[in-house]
Amino acid sequence: MKYVDEYRDPELARGLAQRIAERVEPGRHYKIMEVCGGHTHAIYRYGVQDYLPESIELVHGPGCPVCVIPMGRIDDATVIAEANPDMILTCFGDLMRVPGGRGSFLDARARGADIRVVYSPLDALRLAVENPDRHVMFYAIGFETTAPSTALTLQRAKADAVTNFSVFCNHVTIIPAIKAILDSPDLRLDAFIGPGHVSTVIGNRPYEWISRDRGMPIVVAGFEPLDLLDSIAMIVDQLADGRAEVENQYARVVRDDGNPVALKAMADTMTLRPWFEWRGLGSIDHSALQLSERYADFDAELRFSVPGVRVADPKACQCGEVLKGVLKPWECKVFGTACTPETPIGTCMVSSEGACAAYYNFGKGARQRVELKVKTRA
Amino acid sequence: MIDELSFPTGPIRSVAKDRTVFEDACITCGDVAVALEVVSVEGGDALCRADDGGTEVVAIELVAPVDPGDRVLVHAKVAIEKLP
Repeated sequence: MKYVDEYRDPELARGLAQRIAERVEPGRHYKIMEVCGGHTHAIYRYGVQDYLPESIELVHGPGCPVCVIPMGRIDDATVIAEANPDMILTCFGDLMRVPGGRGSFLDARARGADIRVVYSPLDALRLAVENPDRHVMFYAIGFETTAPSTALTLQRAKADAVTNFSVFCNHVTIIPAIKAILDSPDLRLDAFIGPGHVSTVIGNRPYEWISRDRGMPIVVAGFEPLDLLDSIAMIVDQLADGRAEVENQYARVVRDDGNPVALKAMADTMTLRPWFEWRGLGSIDHSALQLSERYADFDAELRFSVPGVRVADPKACQCGEVLKGVLKPWECKVFGTACTPETPIGTCMVSSEGACAAYYNFGKGARQRVELKVKTRA
Repeated sequence: MIDELSFPTGPIRSVAKDRTVFEDACITCGDVAVALEVVSVEGGDALCRADDGGTEVVAIELVAPVDPGDRVLVHAKVAIEKLP
């Protein structure tokens, strides 16, 4: 398959693994965080860690939007859907099973609410046009990769004067989350693997403070196994050379300036929230988006009564520590026993990109390192 | 599909095809975006084709102008980048 097979070549992978192993400093432990849920999924799915020296630890970050949504935001949307009989609540697939204090959307659907999975906010808008006697609310979620599609949908809804469509906005932004992780006292990191498709939209420049002010390398990476190994090699090279730079491993897709048209659409339709609660990370200032005043007519939080539910996470659940990279998934007390993909207690087990679900599905009890003939550094 | 992976990973735990976690997989959590080729353009939409021959109508306002034959990166049925 074009652009895929060449990034899964086992011999090239071996070569990169060898390069990494030869550049690591003996006795040094490396902690590298992949921020993006797609990277977490790829690392487990393809066994990327098996190609790395024991001294390189990949720490899984908070880059799965479903995993960081607080339970109360699920309950808010459930209340709106159940209080308005003409409502069709639409959302992406993984959200259906996220447990809220009043159960999941699947539970609400079983109670009678009309809740449907869509693959794009544009599908939700089309549903509104096709059902003029119903109101369609789209549960918007995602980082800057997804926010432009919501923005474009809002612009089309406004241009077409669609009145029975609204957005319950939960879009979050990646930079404040990275900052919160760096400010966390219980986690020491050496470098970041930067999110590939988020960077397609925002570009590479927003990461410059990480290298400049925090002295840490960040390499924006693609999603194939060779992309990840290549980005880790670039990080190890930087650390070995004493450099801290923003590098772009995914240059075949990501431009330094991102997509200015997408950013403009986001700026037209959305504005920063003063604060937003992240599961595991707590309240983070200016870390999420709400609809702008120009699009107030489409803002579900203004059109409907929102209870503003706040629900504490279940006591047994340690998603917070997993999301911050402090705990590995299998170190959680309920991992694989009370909490499984079929009956998730925490959000990290819901999405297949959540660290717990990814490890549950693809992880192995012990690493099986790929044999390399490596000349290590003296 | 898992069974078709060419990348050697050592033994992968067999993935049950009926596991609900893989149904309705979440494009936003996976930061999923796919490269498609533009077949035809009509207003703000383009009919695009994947390598496997499947087609999809995609919004192209964020990467316009595009022409038939161009490759675009698509997320949630919206093109977010024009590929070289």
